[in-house]
Amino acid sequence: MTPLPTDQPRTVILGVAASDAHAVANQLICRLLRAHGFHVVNLGVCTPLHEFADALDAEPAAEAILIGSVNGHAYADLRDLPELRRQGRLDRPVVLGGNLSVGAHKRSADLDRLTALGVDHIVTGLSELLPLLDTLHAARQPAPQHG
Amino acid sequence: MAEFPGLEVSAAVAARLPDWDDIVAYLRNRPGDTVPDVLRAADRSGVPAIQPRCGVGGHAEMLALLRELALSAPSVLSVTIDSYTRLRQFDVAARVLAEEPARLNGYPLVAHGWQRGRELADAVPVPLEVRHGSPDGRDLFATALAAGITSFEGGGIGYNLPYCKDVPLDVSLRSWQQVDAACGALADAGVLVDRELFGTLTAVLVPPSISLAVTLLEAVAAAREGVRCISISYPQGGEIHQDVAALRAVRTLAARYLDPRVEVFPVLHQFMGAFPADPAWASGLILHGALTARLGGASKVVNKTEQEARGLPDADANGKGIRLTAVGASSMFDFVELDADRVAEELHWIEEEVAELVEPVLAEEDLLAAIGAAFRTGRLDVPFSASVHARNQVIPRRDPGGAIRYADHSALPFSGATRRRHAALLAGSAPAPRPGPGEITAVIRDISYFADRTPARTP
Ligand code: B12
Repeated sequence: MTPLPTDQPRTVILGVAASDAHAVANQLICRLLRAHGFHVVNLGVCTPLHEFADALDAEPAAEAILIGSVNGHAYADLRDLPELRRQGRLDRPVVLGGNLSVGAHKRSADLDRLTALGVDHIVTGLSELLPLLDTLHAARQPAPQHG
Repeated sequence: MAEFPGLEVSAAVAARLPDWDDIVAYLRNRPGDTVPDVLRAADRSGVPAIQPRCGVGGHAEMLALLRELALSAPSVLSVTIDSYTRLRQFDVAARVLAEEPARLNGYPLVAHGWQRGRELADAVPVPLEVRHGSPDGRDLFATALAAGITSFEGGGIGYNLPYCKDVPLDVSLRSWQQVDAACGALADAGVLVDRELFGTLTAVLVPPSISLAVTLLEAVAAAREGVRCISISYPQGGEIHQDVAALRAVRTLAARYLDPRVEVFPVLHQFMGAFPADPAWASGLILHGALTARLGGASKVVNKTEQEARGLPDADANGKGIRLTAVGASSMFDFVELDADRVAEELHWIEEEVAELVEPVLAEEDLLAAIGAAFRTGRLDVPFSASVHARNQVIPRRDPGGAIRYADHSALPFSGATRRRHAALLAGSAPAPRPGPGEITAVIRDISYFADRTPARTP
């Protein structure tokens, strides 16, 4: 996965959902993306959704918001997404990965609820992430001029 | 409003609790074995006590879960607390509880209240422990005591660095100091609280000497506040000589550094890293952990389940995990004998490394301040820290036999001999690749040491 040629490194915002302290996948994804030339704003574990929105305000060039959640609380932790979007915030593809509901028996309804909140992409394995980011990049409008 | 000696409880929680004297009287007169009774009996018999993790949101569901797990004859049962309560977001825990309790990843004890906690404690014939992950567990501790639960996990380092982003160590250490002081007051009043220290830390590739150094410092701090019963947990790394040596080191280090009035019990947490999804490999790893606990002389083993990689286990899988652990820790495997020299060699080096880590800190006047300072400067560190208050610069790797070594000890104050040994032990592993995708692949390989295994099948 080679970064598409640009002047600036591509930026993404990465973090773990509000109630979730699992750090390992987050740190590996951060290192992986950096090794592929991305500028990663890593907000780390236990990051409330509004802090993702604040980070996007500070880094408007970011192409996507990558949120991890493995403790099972994805739905409750993301429930402010519709409200933030209504306010015009978090106006980028939200990519969610991890273990997205409580319990060893998963139901597709759990993922549907997350999509209904406005999650744009649900990624299961790490190997899907870079191709998805490339697809999102290619689909972008010419980058808006900021500042 | 209830007043607790030395323990500051938030006004909202204190207002709902009974008076301290009533709590002490209730705890003194509670019938049945306590966790220290169970651990002493395990040490006498040489068979570790067994405890599952378990916690669901709803109260009726939690009662049913505990009753069902009790049928598998664990020695201790857990009240595993949900993530919101751990982070003191009691209002969010209460909201999700009201909306859909099944969506909580644990039992919100503060939201349910101490009276329901007593119903849990009365529902089963074995004592309960509250397991959580709260950098500040004071409100939860007070609620647990009122519920009649006198085994409480956590410490100012082990329940900070893996469990939150930005709580300074000074803050968590001071709040756990209050918990320990309350345990001291209880001990004086004839109520012995078992305080388990979470040596598992971030659970993934944790070098034994980091785990043991952290719990030892927490234990010294707890003993100074009057705590008289300390369980020290260590996470199974997967190489049995190293793990058995680490469990034995819990007792030798305690004898060297702790007030002899303190009872110390080593606890093994069955493999805490990325678990195999395949049920056969998962069961094998559970059995392996049980055997490790017995050979290492653990007083207690906390079991995993074959659903670990998938999500919170159902009662069925958890019961199976308890029973499988009982088998692995039984005399069935008494024919297994480890190479005693190899274990002794590991034990010697673990003790040496722990001494190199803790002695400069113990030499300082103000222990808690010295711990915070050591983490700031990297003289203490944990890999994969969730918190920004550790440097996160130590790089662990598995050696060719699977044991966890330091590929980069960063600023840990190790002697030349210690450093040379780790370098030599890793010399046989694939060379550490330069930073980049290759390096990440190597780390993922070590993390997935067990997770990657798939069952052999006949074609
Ligand atoms: C290590 C571990 C811990 C450590 C974490 C240390 C730390 N701070 O990082 C400790 C012991 C502290 C811990 C604590 C807890 N844990 Co834990 N933990 C694990 C364990 C064993 C391994 C996780 C891990 O690091 N794997 C290695 C990394 C590389 O992989 P990963 O996290 O699985 O992520 C992969 C994918 O999910 C995906 N992914 C993850 N994030 C993202 C993000 C993006 C953007 C993308 C694209 C992909 C992606 O890519 C990764 C690689 O494939 C898992 C079980 C397992 N898998 O074996 C449980 C597990 C995740 N924990 C769990 C829970 C519930 C907790 C607790 C809440 C305690 C509890 N109630 O049981 C607390 C956390 C408290 C909190 N506030 O969140 C549950 C989740 C249950 C569920 N969803 O039903 C699990 C599944 C265990 C279980 N079976 O119950 N845990």
